[in-house]
Amino acid sequence: MNRLFEKEIVFFGGKGGVGKTTLAAAFALRGAERGERTLLVSTDPAHSTSDILETELGPEPRSVATDFWALELDPEQEATRYIDDVKQRIAVTTAPRMLEEVERQIDIVRISPGSQEAALFERFTRIIEGSAGHYRRIVFDTAPTGQTLRLLSLPELLNAWMSGLIGRRKKLNALSRMWRNVAGAAAGGRSTGSDPVLTALEERKERFHRARRILTDARKTAFAFVVVPERLPILETERAVGILARHRIPVGAIFVNRVLPRGVQSDFMRRRGVRESQYLENIERSLGTYPIYQVPLLDRDVVGVTALRRLTIAKVARVGDGEDRR
Amino acid sequence: MSFARSLLLRLRRAREIYEGVYVAPYRSAIHREYLNQRDLFLLLAFTDLLGIPNPMAYYALELYPEVIDQFHEWHRRMGMPQAPEGGFRCC
Repeated sequence: MNRLFEKEIVFFGGKGGVGKTTLAAAFALRGAERGERTLLVSTDPAHSTSDILETELGPEPRSVATDFWALELDPEQEATRYIDDVKQRIAVTTAPRMLEEVERQIDIVRISPGSQEAALFERFTRIIEGSAGHYRRIVFDTAPTGQTLRLLSLPELLNAWMSGLIGRRKKLNALSRMWRNVAGAAAGGRSTGSDPVLTALEERKERFHRARRILTDARKTAFAFVVVPERLPILETERAVGILARHRIPVGAIFVNRVLPRGVQSDFMRRRGVRESQYLENIERSLGTYPIYQVPLLDRDVVGVTALRRLTIAKVARVGDGEDRR
Repeated sequence: MSFARSLLLRLRRAREIYEGVYVAPYRSAIHREYLNQRDLFLLLAFTDLLGIPNPMAYYALELYPEVIDQFHEWHRRMGMPQAPEGGFRCC
């Protein structure tokens, strides 16, 4: 995994239930054991990371082992945090008679689709920007594929929308100045200082821009997919890799989890094994441009730092292959 | 009355005539355009208030404090003494 260890920001993604959380934790732990201070960030509201690491995690980093820190974000809590912040600022500028109505309106947005993703993304960028120099590496254990892809393509989509609004706002401000020039006293005595709406929009756009720069920086960032050798997870991963490529988000590795052990003597397992080697070949064919690692199916659950440490993650050797191409 | 002072008065009068003849007709047009653009911005930033899904409703939240007054002014100007259903019930 040398190539992946060169990255500062690694996202783990994949279909639900393939073992993202386990592999993200195992990868983070291996990095920490190389003496590189690592932060593992989970967005799973089911607290799986806490369960795997056998440590109660919260929204602030907690030490799990030497050089190994972890935190668990709750999307709903993140949205609430942002919305409370907006409410506070509104309380200062809004007439008291309107306040209740405005807060009602804001609470509608809190539960509207996209808010939690936006809050989560906001927190991601703040973690990345806030921990520069603090950690050698940040490992994100993300939600199942669809949600993650939306999350990562968010800055690009919203950037376009935001640019449109900024253009409109500038035009409006120009008209406002023109109106003031010709109207004199009729425009009302208010002076045209800087426009707080335009400032807020431009700040937001700049944030998106920075987030996008981080996500697409192939030297620092990589996306690792976890897949199991079965039909549906493979299809989903192939599609997801294609979508990330379109958004120019670099894919760094494919982890094939729960590969059957060889030499198991039963008809059932043998048949299963034949099917599996076909799937492994499929993965090699469609995703072979990325480094592929295999993790065996075990006879027990992976729980605790010791079990994570013992997990074997083996690179799939290729003819004429040095360490990790691409 | 000094020459300079009388010249100043005449110039001022000339400017008033100029404004009356040339600027006044545009003034209302500019004002109307300004209000139209302001309404359009309000609509684009807060489509969710009219029930149209807004991809950045979440980020538009932080603009609320700045535009509530304009929303109020808008529905008054549109001949609605009370704010329409669904949006801010500012009055």
